[in-house]
Amino acid sequence: MPSTKLYAAIYVVLFAFATLQFVVEQAGLLRTIYWTAFAIIIALSIVKAVLVAGWYQHLKFEPRSLTALVLIGLTAVLALTFAAAYSIT
Amino acid sequence: MTTDPREPTATPDDQPAADGGTAPAADGGTEARAAGATAEVPLPVGREETGHEHALPPQSAIRRWFVTTNHKDIGILYIVTSLFFLVFGGTLALLFRIQLWSPVQAGQTGFLSAFAYNQAVSIHGLVMVFWFLSPFAFGFANYVVPLQLGAKDLAFPRLNAISYWFYLASGILLGVSFFQGGSFAGGWTMYAPLNIPTFMPNIGGTTAVLALALFVISVTVSSVNFLTTMHRMRAEGLTLRRLPLFSASILLTVWMMLFAFASLLAALFILTADRVLGTTYFASGSPGGSILWTHLFWFFGHPEVYIVFFPALGAMAEIFQTFTGRRLVGRKWFMLAMLLVALQSFVVWMHHMFLTTINLQIKTLFMATTIGISLPFDLMVFALIYTMIKGDNRFTTPFLFAFGALLLFIIGGITGVFLGAVVLDYEFRGTYWVVAHFHYVMVGGVTGLVGALYYWYPKITGRMYDEFLGKLHFAVYFVGFNLLYFPLFVIWENPRRVFDYSPAFQPWQQLATVGAFILGLSFLIMFYNLGKSLWTGAEAGSSPWEYATTAEWAVDSPPPLENFPGIASYKDGFLSFLAPAGEVQPMAADGGAVGMKADARLEPGYDDVHASHASVWPFVVAMGVLFAFLGLGSIHSGKLPTGVGGAVYLGLGALGVLIGGTGLVFMGLEPFHAPEVPIAERWPFEGITKMKTGVWIFLASDIVLFGAFIGAYIFMRFDFGWTIWHHDLIPPQHVVLPGLINTYLLLTSSFTVVLALVAAERRSRAGVVASLVTTLFLGVGFLINKAIEWHHLFDIRTTAYPAGWAFSTNAASSTFYLTTGLHAIHVFVGLLITSYLIFRAWGGKYLGEADGNSIEYFGLYWHFVDIVWLFLFPLFYIL
Repeated sequence: MPSTKLYAAIYVVLFAFATLQFVVEQAGLLRTIYWTAFAIIIALSIVKAVLVAGWYQHLKFEPRSLTALVLIGLTAVLALTFAAAYSIT
Repeated sequence: MTTDPREPTATPDDQPAADGGTAPAADGGTEARAAGATAEVPLPVGREETGHEHALPPQSAIRRWFVTTNHKDIGILYIVTSLFFLVFGGTLALLFRIQLWSPVQAGQTGFLSAFAYNQAVSIHGLVMVFWFLSPFAFGFANYVVPLQLGAKDLAFPRLNAISYWFYLASGILLGVSFFQGGSFAGGWTMYAPLNIPTFMPNIGGTTAVLALALFVISVTVSSVNFLTTMHRMRAEGLTLRRLPLFSASILLTVWMMLFAFASLLAALFILTADRVLGTTYFASGSPGGSILWTHLFWFFGHPEVYIVFFPALGAMAEIFQTFTGRRLVGRKWFMLAMLLVALQSFVVWMHHMFLTTINLQIKTLFMATTIGISLPFDLMVFALIYTMIKGDNRFTTPFLFAFGALLLFIIGGITGVFLGAVVLDYEFRGTYWVVAHFHYVMVGGVTGLVGALYYWYPKITGRMYDEFLGKLHFAVYFVGFNLLYFPLFVIWENPRRVFDYSPAFQPWQQLATVGAFILGLSFLIMFYNLGKSLWTGAEAGSSPWEYATTAEWAVDSPPPLENFPGIASYKDGFLSFLAPAGEVQPMAADGGAVGMKADARLEPGYDDVHASHASVWPFVVAMGVLFAFLGLGSIHSGKLPTGVGGAVYLGLGALGVLIGGTGLVFMGLEPFHAPEVPIAERWPFEGITKMKTGVWIFLASDIVLFGAFIGAYIFMRFDFGWTIWHHDLIPPQHVVLPGLINTYLLLTSSFTVVLALVAAERRSRAGVVASLVTTLFLGVGFLINKAIEWHHLFDIRTTAYPAGWAFSTNAASSTFYLTTGLHAIHVFVGLLITSYLIFRAWGGKYLGEADGNSIEYFGLYWHFVDIVWLFLFPLFYIL
């Protein structure tokens, strides 16, 4: 299990990344380079999610079967979303 | 593998039987005759089943059935209730078959009014697919699977009872919906936009949708329970590939259920919001609208075909093995084929949408995957046929039904391949061809399950049914079935769902109606037979079937409350029961092969704390939900009905919340012991506690639920135009800052939950309480902030939004409020749990429990809710 220090460090990173997402919006990047800003913002969310799942939910320290379980659910729903969106192009 | 003389359930594969319990057959030793599974082998006599029933009233007492959490009792409840719904759904079918005796022109009233006809057709479909088929199969699953696994009960017995009571409550809701201005009348697929209040304003329509939602919640709870059980409580040596075929089919079924039903739940919640709150997801002019429904529905709906068919297939395979007297040919490949189908079932859903506006490329792709999914089924069908060819077949009633199911399924399967081809589907879609096809498949499955009912009837009741009446039932059933459904192929051009048909089809329609009555009549024979045999049937012994090999046949009929005299194990290649050294008494002189074994891993008194089997709270909670949903369903666009009716509904809803909430609290406080088996196969969840496994499996389904909500938003925004969505549909008053503040609050609350866990490990009561109280405050702050933000947005008055930005304003407001609202409900539920944890932590609980700590399990949920917000924040505030 991680130390309390590491938990706190992760919290700081999460806080900072959320702020960063806000800054990207405030800087008006969505008005100029929408899809780049989009990619940055989503990437930050993904990193935050991995941090929370990996450390706060301890997935990193559990058997890989739990990670697989989560990924299966995620894959199913991403397949649904992207296939559905593609189907109406 | 083929030289292995034993069916691998009572004797796992690859391990030669050493106990002399086999009788190799002349064709090379494939005949199964497992020791301990046949009637003449004595039962284990090692330890006596403790006589007392653990505070559970006897089966003759009515009270027993309201408090039981035992899997066998609940199995019986499921079977009996589902048979009631068979009669209900069947009666609806007879009603509209009478209507179809002669064509009725649109606008004229036949035997039924047009509205009554539409209700009968719609609810017949819903009842049969949801309230009859799956619960019927899960009655057997409840009863038989723990026995086949060597488990004493399911992992979470009270949750199992909750599943049942939710199921019954949902069925009652559906029944009530008929009396609320008519039930749902838009077909069992509930296509949009016909499903919204504009076209179906009756309260009964909403109640029916909520009934289905409650049913799905029941299924989800059940899936989590079965998956935890089947992955963590298998007898030692019973690896997944050695599972008996029925259990294997149920395992794959519940995996499909877990993910598929989450998508349906999302669809139903959204539909409920459209009907109750007035959001506009499925409105006619909505971007995506009706196509969105078809995606969400059929992403569930196609796996659902296998969800209802697999248990029948598994039962058929077991029945084939028993009555052909040999192991299933290609057993391993049969299981692999089922696994393939379970995976493929999630990539074929758009073949239900060939006549919608989805593009040709994706139709072609889904045509290919659809043809692909028929291939594993070919293998399974041939495995069954070949087993018969090689077997020594005894055409008893169960086998007649299983064999009949195979024939019907072959017809149903082949006619389905036609529908899988895009070009042919342009002709077939919406015709009786579809109706005939899926009835051959679905009712083919029913046929297999009726076989299962006869097969396990002696096990469940301890009595034999009347064989002659059973065979008579099959004969009448089979004739009635084909008279009913085959004519529908002949008049395939007849459009489905309507009663105004071409007079040229009348003779065939009449033939079908005659068949329907014969089919219905055949069940009277069954009910008479099974009812009378309860009293007059011959004693069944532990097994009336000569070649039955699975573990349920190794114990009494019906089995004792806790199934087995010790911990079931297949470690030595055949079934035995483990007990601590010193607690094993000598075997009877004629020593059967199933026996007690001393096991050094077990300490004397390991099972001193007896398992609990009784709790009334599951029933109470379900009744609360029933009333709450009755109240909820009466709301239309955020308003209760006017007058006395509204007050009554409000009262019912409030009462329901009160009863349900009280029930949950008492259930949480009730001491209920469901012991962990010390020795069991747990792949792939070794080293993870039972509760943690259950929580993660639940979260996996919640990922799909939330994912489907977010997916619906992405789909609609994509359809509308991703980058203009923000400008066209969202007022400038909708700013980023409230979202950012809430992100901070939620992230901090996640951190405090982590701190609570750290404090618990350090045995600091003050630390645990302080961290949890902080979490509670942060969560409450989150909700207050959200309430202020929503209130502000509801009330903006600008030229673009003169009536504010409310639920029903447009697609962006609908998706925003509903998706973040679902999240807010999750936060709210989390805060209720937090309050409960604070209450318990104040009393000194949770300290130092490094392994299996409730705070940790709650944390998994809370962090998940946090993660969801991490995506909702950019999607609904920034981008």
